[in-house]
Amino acid sequence: MHKPIATTRSATGIPTGRLAVWWVLASEIVIFGGLLASYVMHRIGHPEWAVAASHTNTWIGATNTFVLLTSSFTAVLAHQAAEHGDGKTAAKYLLMTIGGAATFITIKSFEWAHEIREGFTITANGFWSFYYTAAGLHALHVIAGAVVMAFIARDAMKGRELHRVELVGIYWHFVDVIWIFLFPLLYIAK
Amino acid sequence: MSEQHHPDYKKIYIALVILLAISVAGPHVGLKWLTLITAFGVALVKANLVVENFMHLKWEKVLAKWVLGTSLVLMALFFAGVSPDVMEHKGDRWVNNAAIAAVARGIPDEEEAAAQEPGAEEAAAPREAAAAAPPAPAFKAEEQFKQVCSACHGLEGKGNGPGAASLDPKPANFTDPAFWADKDDATLVKAIREGGASVGKSSAMPAWGSLYNEDQAKQIVAYLHTLKGN
Repeated sequence: MHKPIATTRSATGIPTGRLAVWWVLASEIVIFGGLLASYVMHRIGHPEWAVAASHTNTWIGATNTFVLLTSSFTAVLAHQAAEHGDGKTAAKYLLMTIGGAATFITIKSFEWAHEIREGFTITANGFWSFYYTAAGLHALHVIAGAVVMAFIARDAMKGRELHRVELVGIYWHFVDVIWIFLFPLLYIAK
Repeated sequence: MSEQHHPDYKKIYIALVILLAISVAGPHVGLKWLTLITAFGVALVKANLVVENFMHLKWEKVLAKWVLGTSLVLMALFFAGVSPDVMEHKGDRWVNNAAIAAVARGIPDEEEAAAQEPGAEEAAAPREAAAAAPPAPAFKAEEQFKQVCSACHGLEGKGNGPGAASLDPKPANFTDPAFWADKDDATLVKAIREGGASVGKSSAMPAWGSLYNEDQAKQIVAYLHTLKGN
């Protein structure tokens, strides 16, 4: 099969695929950064948001942080296995990471369903608007990462395209880092 | 495939989990500055551990750091440029009435808000306040005037607040006897609740009906009388 030149060329000293991931993350920093910076400045200007924020459940937030940290751990173990040429182990760790993503989304569904039942909807006030927008955009990234990982795990199982295990891992760690900041912003600062 | 750098991932993972425990425990001590450190200081340390070791940025070519750093600088520029106007609700020549009203609506009473420390029973607080203070639940006209009205009318009611500079006609001067010559209380209550235009005055005076009921507007008018002849 014909290989696209981008997979083998590396003009910058960084493999082209990995450089592309860094560029994606650079745009993600602006997307999430703009959203979170807006949240922070509004939160400082609106002391009354603390009343709304006191209704978020710290334990659910902490559990989900633990789930994502663990999934980052398995993602980096997948990367390590891929570099040793062990596609089967890499695929196994990637599947565990997908399991982490599924756990995260399941917990989030129950959390949101509970909050919406209580009347805390996206239009309730400014705090809840930011809460659902920021965590929702993050959850979409979790879902997208899990889907991409499923394709890469399928290839890795057969020992193909092992360099992609690292690439999806870098993206996954970034999604983890975003949550590391969302957690104190939405759950701890009350 | 890249150069093989694999630190002890298990150690880093355990460090991350311990840091998570610290950020959850932080608010239970009850010190605000400590909570800020355990929440955001610890988040920075955690993010750094992940970025350096899991994303391998520690061993990456400097170009990648510049790419990511540029985005971070753009984000900081955005924050620095916009935040002064969002965090403050009035400046030398402008007033954000909607934001002031939103804050006032969200915090029913100042003392109550101050008492709402993390962990306090927020559901019980309004009921207690209602039980403790009979008909007029701690509505202080003077405080309201200084928080809301003073933006344009000035702290002493002379019509020279920060928002006045950009207004024409100028906001009413309550210390001026001429102001009181042709107005009764009902007109003033109407102006407060329905806006200046409703009584044939400047439309720059917003309608505060969503913030003050009839009785509260009357209390504010009573306070305005005390400014007369200052």
